[in-house]
Amino acid sequence: MRLSLKALSALLTYPTADLAMAIPEIRDALADDAALSGRRIAALSPLLNRLGNRETMPAEEAYVGLFDRSRMLSLHLFEHVHGESRDRGQAMVDLLGLYESGGYFVEADELPDYLPLFVEFLSTRPEAEARESLGDVAHILNAMHVRLKGRDPAYAAVLGALLELAGEPVEAEAAEAVDDGPDALDRAWEEIAVTFGPEGNREQAGCGKVAGMLERMRAQ
Amino acid sequence: MSHFLDRLLFFRKNVDTFSSDHGVVTNEDRTWEKAYRGRWSHDRVVRSTHGANCTGSCSWKIYVKGGIVTWETQQTDYPRTRPDLPNHEPRGCSRGASYSWYLYSGNRVKYPMVRGRLLRLWREAKARHTDPVLAWKSIVDDPKASASYKSVRGLGGFVRSTWDEVEEIVAAANVHTVKTHGPDRVIGFSPIPAMSMVSYAAGSRYLSLIGGVCMSFYDWYCDLPPSSPQTWGEQTDVPESADWYNSSFLILWGSNVPQTRTPDAHFFTEVRYKGAKAVVVTPDYSEASKFADAWLPAKQGTDAALAMAMGHVILREFYLDKPRPYFTGYAKKFTDLPFLVRLVERDGRYVADRLVRASDFADALGEVNNPDWKTVAIDEASGSVVAPAGSVGFRWGEKGRWNLEEKDGKGKAVDLRLSTLGIHDDVVGVGFPYFGGQKHPHFTESAHDDVLERRVPARRLRLKDGEALVATVYDLLLANYGLDRGLGGDNVAKSYDDDVPYTPAWQEKITGVDRRLAIQTAREFADNAEKTEGKSMVIIGAAMNHWYHSDMNYRSVINMLVLCGCVGKSGGGWSHYVGQEKLRPQPGWTALAFALDWNRPPRQMNSTSFFYNHTSQWRHERLAVSEILSPLADKAKYGGSLIDFNVRSERMGWLPSAPQLETNPIELTKQAAAAGQEPAPYAIGRLKDGTLRFSAESPDDPRNFPRNLFVWRSNLLGSSGKGHEYFLKYLLGTSHGVQGKDLGAEGGEKPLEVEWKEKGAQGKLDLLVTLDFRMSTTCLYSDIVLPTATWYEKHDLNTSDMHPFIHPLSAAVNPVWQSRSDWDIFKGVARKFSEVAKGHLGVEKDLVLTPIMHDSPGEIAQPFEPKDWKRGECDPVPGKTMPSMTVVERDYPATYAKFTALGPLMSKIGNGGKGIAWNTQHEVEALAKLNGVVSAPGVAQGQPRIETDIDAAETILMLAPETNGEVAVKAWAALGQATGREHTHLARTREDEKLRFRDLQAQPRKIISSPTWSGIESEHVTYNAGYTNVHELIPWRTLTGRQQLYQDHPWMRDFGEALCLYKPPIDTRTTASLYGSRSNGNKELVLNFITPHQKWGIHSTYTDNLLMLTLSRGGPIVWISEVDAKDAGIVDNDWIEAFNINGALVARAVVSQRVPKGMVLMYHAQEKIVNVPGSEITGARGGIHNSVTRACPKPTHMIGGYAQLSYGFNYHGTIGTNRDEFVIVRKMSNVDWLEKPLAQAEKVGA
Repeated sequence: MRLSLKALSALLTYPTADLAMAIPEIRDALADDAALSGRRIAALSPLLNRLGNRETMPAEEAYVGLFDRSRMLSLHLFEHVHGESRDRGQAMVDLLGLYESGGYFVEADELPDYLPLFVEFLSTRPEAEARESLGDVAHILNAMHVRLKGRDPAYAAVLGALLELAGEPVEAEAAEAVDDGPDALDRAWEEIAVTFGPEGNREQAGCGKVAGMLERMRAQ
Repeated sequence: MSHFLDRLLFFRKNVDTFSSDHGVVTNEDRTWEKAYRGRWSHDRVVRSTHGANCTGSCSWKIYVKGGIVTWETQQTDYPRTRPDLPNHEPRGCSRGASYSWYLYSGNRVKYPMVRGRLLRLWREAKARHTDPVLAWKSIVDDPKASASYKSVRGLGGFVRSTWDEVEEIVAAANVHTVKTHGPDRVIGFSPIPAMSMVSYAAGSRYLSLIGGVCMSFYDWYCDLPPSSPQTWGEQTDVPESADWYNSSFLILWGSNVPQTRTPDAHFFTEVRYKGAKAVVVTPDYSEASKFADAWLPAKQGTDAALAMAMGHVILREFYLDKPRPYFTGYAKKFTDLPFLVRLVERDGRYVADRLVRASDFADALGEVNNPDWKTVAIDEASGSVVAPAGSVGFRWGEKGRWNLEEKDGKGKAVDLRLSTLGIHDDVVGVGFPYFGGQKHPHFTESAHDDVLERRVPARRLRLKDGEALVATVYDLLLANYGLDRGLGGDNVAKSYDDDVPYTPAWQEKITGVDRRLAIQTAREFADNAEKTEGKSMVIIGAAMNHWYHSDMNYRSVINMLVLCGCVGKSGGGWSHYVGQEKLRPQPGWTALAFALDWNRPPRQMNSTSFFYNHTSQWRHERLAVSEILSPLADKAKYGGSLIDFNVRSERMGWLPSAPQLETNPIELTKQAAAAGQEPAPYAIGRLKDGTLRFSAESPDDPRNFPRNLFVWRSNLLGSSGKGHEYFLKYLLGTSHGVQGKDLGAEGGEKPLEVEWKEKGAQGKLDLLVTLDFRMSTTCLYSDIVLPTATWYEKHDLNTSDMHPFIHPLSAAVNPVWQSRSDWDIFKGVARKFSEVAKGHLGVEKDLVLTPIMHDSPGEIAQPFEPKDWKRGECDPVPGKTMPSMTVVERDYPATYAKFTALGPLMSKIGNGGKGIAWNTQHEVEALAKLNGVVSAPGVAQGQPRIETDIDAAETILMLAPETNGEVAVKAWAALGQATGREHTHLARTREDEKLRFRDLQAQPRKIISSPTWSGIESEHVTYNAGYTNVHELIPWRTLTGRQQLYQDHPWMRDFGEALCLYKPPIDTRTTASLYGSRSNGNKELVLNFITPHQKWGIHSTYTDNLLMLTLSRGGPIVWISEVDAKDAGIVDNDWIEAFNINGALVARAVVSQRVPKGMVLMYHAQEKIVNVPGSEITGARGGIHNSVTRACPKPTHMIGGYAQLSYGFNYHGTIGTNRDEFVIVRKMSNVDWLEKPLAQAEKVGA
């Protein structure tokens, strides 16, 4: 699994000449590691063929068009979780803490939530932990997988493979239609109304004794 | 038992309730609080701000944790104000508060990007040529190859590159262009230096070193009100927002303070609690209207009619019926109203001609120096004609008499007469042009004769060419306003209810404003000004400046302020808030930014004329000069089209030229040497015999193309490019939405001065390089996109006109991904340029053409009728009748060495600004100690280093009087030499202060009073423009030295704008030919197209931010009135299209009661990058607000060499107006998101 994670991480990086040269090595690693099913490895073939091409420009244009230009397909995990929210900074700080506790510092000019970086970190972790961490972001991987299937299936295969390693179901393959109509968008962005005070959800209200206190005060 | 040991000494028991049961102690798990505490913990806080051209310059705390920016909050440590004034803070708004998102946004530009097709060509070329310059040449010399990447601009296809590679491409392209076509073909556009002045200076320094061209922005953005240079000789100078608090009567005229000046709006709220009255004039029920005690909804574009009527009331009641000494005293001292104008007879009536000059008299009134430029008036006591000190003739060639001391040139006290009434020799009928009767399909006219004859008292004078009739400006002004003075004749009003221009009744028909409201507002405005000695203020929105006849809108309001003695008075005056135009430490910055330390003069160009010319908008011109000419003008003198006027202006040295001439200026000096001549006489000879032309005379000739364009700190194509689709078609050569045909195809009248080629050149630019931190529309159209540092990742300086503090931008974190600061980017390009230049460019001689500059001794060039050498009317004399010519030596391989060191000219020549100069040797020495000196051998050895952005900031701060008290004292002393008065007291108290970059990081610092500006910084008054003119008696930098209400240049007179009047909007003729011809089945309406500033972005910045998108409608929107929407079957949130022959745009409709019938409003600026489908008209994606506009320049803005009407960078020139535009609006029937791959799209496009 270690090698497979490392290989999948590499496949999501920018398609450089170095990467093209390493494709045979990646092919072998995926086969030798045997962490992925034969079906998943076969599905990676079109991407491996594309990235293995010595003329990298078409692959580069495709990569930029997908991942640098489209927020829906951002390879930065928190783009999907926090978007513009201020929570994003803290979430990245937490992630840095995770890497540091694993004994690693981020060396590249990249943010901690960059998916290939995250996956590379997991490739250094014990298998169970890696699986669990991958599972934590499965919903993002699934969402990206769905979107990529429509845009560039070759890259979707990488997300499919990651989901398999996480032991998570691949939702798009349950033949669910993608709903990105306005109503679905509204649902996705709707904020849940917060009800303050004891009349609201007692569990949410934070201080369970307030209600009792209010009752006492009213009684006086 | 005392139970002593049972009692606890140090603890009390945790009890269940406390405070009489109002409090309760709980014992539940509180570990959740850790998350909260952790959330608000941080490693450090750094001070920065947002460089967004919003005038905010707000102080923010940027919180950093683990090297990551986690959030920002408003900083609240501005220096306190004095006791009677509210403090400045908190400053900031929702837009700035969402900025930290930009750092890590999916839309961030993370790597140097190159258009894939170009990069492939480049790498192939590099494989064939080891020399990068030859590699670039091989690409641009191959028409097929260059068309292949130009034609897909804006259609995606970027790939990542490396800094090494992009620097090499850019440097090679620049070297090739300089060598082959000329340095003036390398162009740079960057706006608003004040918002990040070091970043601006990075690019402009590089360009100025290699001889490239820096483009203006203020005029192009139409933020420049030409009325300001016309009236005051001042680009724009305004009160700070705190001064609103000193006012007691405020008119918000076309300005939407709470929405667009959010951090300053509190001063407005506060002063209303102090009892100030607020009147709001806007066509729509804007957010500002909630401030209003009275709301005057004048129809858009007709503001001048309303203001003229108010002026009528003010003059009637406060000058004629019951003259107020405060007003008349102010008018005598500080305005041109007492000055004499010659009346000449034409077609059986008199017309007002030019101002009389000392040289008109046989003895020149004893004036030897510049008598042509000394204006005259009548002294009350002696009744004789005098030449009062302070006019522009006193400014140059002599010392000590350029002041407003109420003395004549010999120092004798004078008291100028406002009117000749009572001592007049005659009362004559004088013709005044009237434009208000012109018909416009969408505006109401008020029919009267196009020449209105009115009776004016006049004096007879004996001049050296015979007897002449003269009148004062004051008497002409009263007649112009249609006031009855009992002199008989027609066209004057006895009552406000007379339908005579310009009465309150007359304006009612045009503006729709109830005459009673107009009268009441005018009366109260003036009454307040009289009682408070000038504390009436107008906060004017640039909206009014965006009309073709902007000057009339503005001058009509300025007249009100001047007549009421409000200008230069605390709490009064003209508050024109636009872009962040005020770069406070200006003289320190210009030295750095334009490399004045290495060579002078720099190349600068006015953008409106440049873009009008080089994006071929002139090929589609539909406004005839005859339409805007005064009925009193001699039409024969004004043949040709608008572009012709610009060409004449360039030739006469009035406006700048870029590219300059058909021949490469480096090549030209070589040709001159071969001919054994000096470059300037050689060029003049060839210009005269016609073998050499200005580039502007044949813009479709490849020799005259601008070749390389840098855009930084700007979204030229997504936000500020008027005539967007023309940019795409002609300059970029890519797919576009232009619907109209050019003059050739339409059989229109061709220009006279410009060579017409049947096919307009397309794809003129070889290379478009944009620096940005986000993928803006401009980036999408660029060939190379360079990732720049955000406002939390670099060191820089920021100032605003809204408050007197200078503020830093600070690097809270290092630039993420591969981004770099602008300073580092241009430094890198300069380094590579110096390497690559070797073998192609050495030490070259470059012939630089400069227009006749304002605030220079040359500004008094042609005092009377302008003469054109090309037509043989005079000799071509550089700096007098044509541009100045200077040979500048450029050591190209030393570009990098020069970029990173302060050059020797600061010590040798000194520094200065606005017509004064001082020695700056001491500052250079101090800077050498602060920054260190260059040790490497070469041209820069021993010079102060400017290696980093902080070094650059220190250079600005050290050299500028505003940030170095010692320089301020020197600058005031230098000005004192011209005025003969003592001004250094204004800076003495702060002489020892030297602001450093780290001081500003500790706390924003108030700048030091300097003669660069017309107001002062003090603990007793807030900053107010014109303050030193009124209180220090420093003349305005105009012809008379006073506030100039009479514009006597022949072009001003012939275009009918000698005195202010009302002109209806122009007819742009952009809808009729399309209306109904491309029906989609839905009803079409023709509506006026207005583009005010928005709430959810600063121009286009923040508009791609999901927070702001969520607060608005999530994409482009157009506001439409309920009435029009109903008529066109449009309901709220429908997709609609607005189009005309310039192009098309799509947006969702916001149907609102805010908007009056007849206009739509689209916020400036919403880009093509978020939620924009395809247009049914063009078949291309959306279009932006500028897609339906086209620039249309005005000849009066092209005047030069005439005191205040002389060129200055961002000071004077043509402006990019756009509000006269109309669009066809209809509901869309097919919303197509155009999600086809490029190959397919190209096929469709072809």
